[in-house]
Amino acid sequence: MGRSETSDRRNRWLWIALAAPGAIWLIILFVVPFYVMLAVAGGGVNEFYQTVVPIWNPIHWSSFNFTAVWHDIVGTGSFIGPPALRTLLYTVIATALSLAISYPVAFFVARYAGRRKTLFLVLLIAPFWVSYMMRMLAWIDLLQQNGFFNSALSFVGLPGSTDWLGGKSVTVILGLVYGYIPYVILVLYAFLDRIDPSLLEASRDLGLSKWRTFWHVTIPLSKPALIAGTFITALPMLGDYFTNQLLSGAPGTTMIGNAIEGQLDSPGQTGQGAVLALMLLVVLLIPMLYYVISTARASREMA
Amino acid sequence: MASTVEKQVSGASRAEPQARRGRIRGNPWRRPWAMEGFTWLYIIWSIVPIGIAVLFSFNKGASQATWQGFSTKWYVGSQVTSVLHNPSLHHAVIQTLILGALTTLICVPIGVGFAIGIDRWRARTANGLNFVMIFSFVIPELLLAVALFLLVTQALTFIKLGTTAEVAGLVVWNLSWPAIIVRARLVSIGRSYEEAAADLGASRMGAIRRVLLPMLMPAIFASAVLVFASTVDDFVIVEQLSSTANTQPMSVLIYSNVHGGLSGPALNALATIMLAISLIAALIGFVAYRWLTRGERTGDGTEALTGIAGI
Amino acid sequence: MSGGNVKLESLTKRFDEVTAVDDISVEIQEGEFFSLLGPSGCGKTTTLRMVAGFEPPTAGKIMLDGTDVASWAPNRRNVNTVFQSYALFPFLTVAENVAFGLKYKSVPKSETSTRVSEALEMVQLSGYEKRRPNQLSGGQQQRVALARALVLRPSVLLLDEPLGALDAKLRRTLQVELGVLQKQVGITFLYVTHDQEEALTMSDRLAVMNHGKIVQLGTPEEVYNEPADAYVADFLGVSNLMDARVEQGSDGKGPCRLRLGDFTLHAQAGQLDATGAVKLAIRPERIHVNPYEESVSANCVPGMVERLVFLGSITHVYVRLATGAALQTLVRNDGADLPYSQGTPVSIALPAEALRVLPDPGVSVAEIHDETTGDQVLDLTGSGAG
Repeated sequence: MGRSETSDRRNRWLWIALAAPGAIWLIILFVVPFYVMLAVAGGGVNEFYQTVVPIWNPIHWSSFNFTAVWHDIVGTGSFIGPPALRTLLYTVIATALSLAISYPVAFFVARYAGRRKTLFLVLLIAPFWVSYMMRMLAWIDLLQQNGFFNSALSFVGLPGSTDWLGGKSVTVILGLVYGYIPYVILVLYAFLDRIDPSLLEASRDLGLSKWRTFWHVTIPLSKPALIAGTFITALPMLGDYFTNQLLSGAPGTTMIGNAIEGQLDSPGQTGQGAVLALMLLVVLLIPMLYYVISTARASREMA
Repeated sequence: MASTVEKQVSGASRAEPQARRGRIRGNPWRRPWAMEGFTWLYIIWSIVPIGIAVLFSFNKGASQATWQGFSTKWYVGSQVTSVLHNPSLHHAVIQTLILGALTTLICVPIGVGFAIGIDRWRARTANGLNFVMIFSFVIPELLLAVALFLLVTQALTFIKLGTTAEVAGLVVWNLSWPAIIVRARLVSIGRSYEEAAADLGASRMGAIRRVLLPMLMPAIFASAVLVFASTVDDFVIVEQLSSTANTQPMSVLIYSNVHGGLSGPALNALATIMLAISLIAALIGFVAYRWLTRGERTGDGTEALTGIAGI
Repeated sequence: MSGGNVKLESLTKRFDEVTAVDDISVEIQEGEFFSLLGPSGCGKTTTLRMVAGFEPPTAGKIMLDGTDVASWAPNRRNVNTVFQSYALFPFLTVAENVAFGLKYKSVPKSETSTRVSEALEMVQLSGYEKRRPNQLSGGQQQRVALARALVLRPSVLLLDEPLGALDAKLRRTLQVELGVLQKQVGITFLYVTHDQEEALTMSDRLAVMNHGKIVQLGTPEEVYNEPADAYVADFLGVSNLMDARVEQGSDGKGPCRLRLGDFTLHAQAGQLDATGAVKLAIRPERIHVNPYEESVSANCVPGMVERLVFLGSITHVYVRLATGAALQTLVRNDGADLPYSQGTPVSIALPAEALRVLPDPGVSVAEIHDETTGDQVLDLTGSGAG
């Protein structure tokens, strides 16, 4: 029995003092920037210098940038629509692929690795420590027109002269998978490792076959793992722009992140970039909130 | 006698089909070869390309595709293009190390203080701040980078783009590492040790200093290593908040030169150096973690790995 | 060693709507081994934590040698605690653990090592200075926790179920050792436990608690032989509670006459002037079971042997009276065969001087039993022998 809450209350000043630097940093460099983003999105443009004029008072926010972006999305010269749809498509496919590959691997290491578990964990954690740059660079090397991959293809008789890096969706999607999969595997492993093996044994003991056990017991027990894995992959992936930039660079494979970046850097269109960023934020808000609430609840239950 | 034997035999054969129907197909305890094979395939797919990229950093020629022999010219040899001699490559390495060190030195202490303070403050404000911190963990980095860029260029313009802005942004981006890892460890430690310290005569701060912090040291160390590695690899925030080419760390340099610019193997060399830095940090962290927990360890050592990975 | 008088005056602790400790007052003498006994949730640990200083009381005073320390921080009080989980600092060696508190007493380094050795010797762990807590067994860790507290020479030592995590045999050994140690060191021990055997073995006096109140206070003999009510009777050992009705109360000298089902009994212990419905209690070792015979002596009830449970040195004989009540009795195994077996009709003698009248708390025997055995493990040790 350890209820120290009453003595915690006595020392409240200490806890606040300890948390203060972090709290202040968070507020100034996380919360306030998004307000600035709102002010810029709702702001105007200095026609002469083509610079942004943020409007700080919410009452005076203008819809100038918003209408411009709206036109860009649904209007005749729409150039935001395609990347937005493409982002969704890429993310769904890449996330599904990542989960499909990660689940058996994580399951194997969590359940069947036995004495070699440490070895496997090291091998699984290793790419985690390799920077995203490096992992993409690796594939850039391999996928060059005269690179290993094409040589291997022609070795087995398939056409080996494709320009993989010239703007192919396949490359970008597989690049996304390759880039994000270490996170998925580790998250899945962490959850699957915690499944009590005696639950599965009990199921077999009660007469369910291997397949039935898997379908009716293991999968439901893995649901939290799969949900966490999906969040950890899909949410950041929707804001990805660099994978496309590195592995393709062609306009036919751009994602919404590229559009945001592009707008932000173009003089006079920074405000619209801010609007796009805000729109992406709003789309992601509900899933992010869901994730944050369930994590916060879980950590409070532990405490 | 014969008839009894007959009866036994026919009885047995009558029983057999029954038994066979209930018999398990295959050996239920056989090794899951398919899953294991798949795992190994994944591991190969995951690691081999990196190995090849490292290999090409030692390529004698300038190609990233065809092997032309072994050479260290991209690292130290060539006067013009090696990392050692080319100023922009050179500066990039140093900038990466500076960013890594500064961010870790700032982020870890305030993150640890945040974790302890929020855990014990127990007010709605505390929960709100915790909420915000988790948000920072799950948001796409691009959105934060854009918001920070606008903050620095439109509001807090006294912070110029460059190293200061980069560090400030990196600290906030990585704050969740120590905050979450240390908090989790704090929860599992519980209150009894500090109570024991108070019982033996320690003041509140004394108990935290002499008992809580030493017990948190492994988690603090693990989060420091993660912050460092994350900063070394980061480029979204850094790119957005950088100013001139002088303040570009390795990650941004590689990114901007992939489609032309510096020749291929030089980029591989840079990336390999980044890899080496991260791995050394991870190794130090692993060793330190095991040393720090030598008084507590009872398991098989996988806690160090998962501890370092922040799971 | 002087000091060590603990006086709790009207001590109360409320957590939101729950009253964990309800206005308790008790005085513990210097050098006494005093136990707080009760099931989980009765308030004993909360009381201890208030004396230690980890919980501020809602009301009341905690007097330590005449000074009210209720508002003092734990590090200012001259009391030390041995925790249930030991709370040994894992990153320090045994010697460093024991020396931890000496730093705050401004003890010079030379004296520190002497006192640490003394303390370790007292708990029979000399030579373990350089070990780490995770290299020690449960019993050894408990001793280090003890040494760590004793080295500071407090006037009162608080122990929060310190033997809870140990196996039965080790527990018994340590119970004896703790009692010896306490007499050796001479300081007041305030001991919290839910194990009645522990409390009976070690204490000079004990307080039985329930729902935040002290139900009875006394020496182990008093509390065991003269339980104040049905709850206490059932908590300490087996009480064989029965429902009965008073026919004629005692006039102060003679026994009380009662009706148990169809039988008339006389009782000479407990609340003899009670009237109406009462509870009767008798300890297993006081009941005599003999094969059935027509000529009955006083206070004999016919019945049947339901079950015999062999426990080594004793045998539990479970009998059922003709009234329907089930009783547990015990017989020492002295080599002779028992004159009855399962199913044998028997006469069950309940000697008047061992039959105790207790006020009826208004609940059934089963409910009382549930309350007292809350988290207790089955009492198979026959420890009702005291």
